[in-house]
Amino acid sequence: MKKLNRFSLIATAIILSAGISGCANTKVGYGDAGAVETMTTDFGSTDLQMIAGKMVDSLLTFPPIVDITSKRRPVMFVDTIKNKTSEHIDTESVTDTISSKVLRSGKFRFVDMSKVAAVQKQLAYQNESGMVSQSSAMNMGRQVGAEYMMYGNLSSIVKRNGNSKDVYYKFTLKVMHVESGIVEWSDEKEIRKSSKKSLFGS
Amino acid sequence: MKTLLLTGLAITSIGLAGCTTSGIVAKGNPSGDPEYAKHLVIHNEALADKIIIQAMHTRTSKNGSLEVSLVLANLSSTDKSVQYRFSWYDADNFEVEQGGQAWTPALLHGKSSINMQALSPNSSATTYKLDVKELK
Repeated sequence: MKKLNRFSLIATAIILSAGISGCANTKVGYGDAGAVETMTTDFGSTDLQMIAGKMVDSLLTFPPIVDITSKRRPVMFVDTIKNKTSEHIDTESVTDTISSKVLRSGKFRFVDMSKVAAVQKQLAYQNESGMVSQSSAMNMGRQVGAEYMMYGNLSSIVKRNGNSKDVYYKFTLKVMHVESGIVEWSDEKEIRKSSKKSLFGS
Repeated sequence: MKTLLLTGLAITSIGLAGCTTSGIVAKGNPSGDPEYAKHLVIHNEALADKIIIQAMHTRTSKNGSLEVSLVLANLSSTDKSVQYRFSWYDADNFEVEQGGQAWTPALLHGKSSINMQALSPNSSATTYKLDVKELK
């Protein structure tokens, strides 16, 4: 009986140690950045990619925009996207993805308002410092004015009931003609995410 | 007991094998054969029996981009969560905006169909490919 007890104790210790050492392993791997992510109902990479994809497709297939961009590449600037949700969301990242896709489509050109101060400093250095040869200096007052402005907002409605959570996101994007103030294009993308905590399983 | 364990293992391995290969792929171009079934590659018989591509239409927009409209139908009576991804190729079969396309989730209700539309990233695309797989 004593022998059996000792044997079972050793066996249990081996099994336990194997289990513990198995838990301690850290595995690092590379995943697909474009894969659908369903970790939580919070705003995630799939939401960003879906919004950007839908908005760019909608903008570039809207008949008046197709007419405008079929002969020339108008200049646009991106204003901020207001985050009206209760979450912290980097809306600049959303607009970066959208403006990159629109620019790479070859239909629009952009001016970056966040770099105005840096460009101004560089032009002043080239023209006023006396350090740069005037034959190669870039001239001041030759920048192209933006014809269109892109802006929008992101809002959400969150509902909870016991273990269930339902989140509804609405992303609105608009393009306005700067001179006339006319909104040339606008679209919405809705996303519904829900989660339910189960008692058993993952 | 042993038989029960073996049966359990067999079922699990079948389940795992089924998970790894589920997905269907469709390819097409606007000047190609309208019989899109010729371009359809099926990876998983079980999924292909339930989810089919009913129609595929393509056109070139006025500013040169390739537009695709596709009807995906669920033949089973249960809801199916799927994810799909379009990839675009130019005349030389080089991928346009390589790696830039993300998977999009979609819910297919039982015995229903959804219409999916996509636009090529730029005007150099002449062919496209569609991947559909189950969302777990």
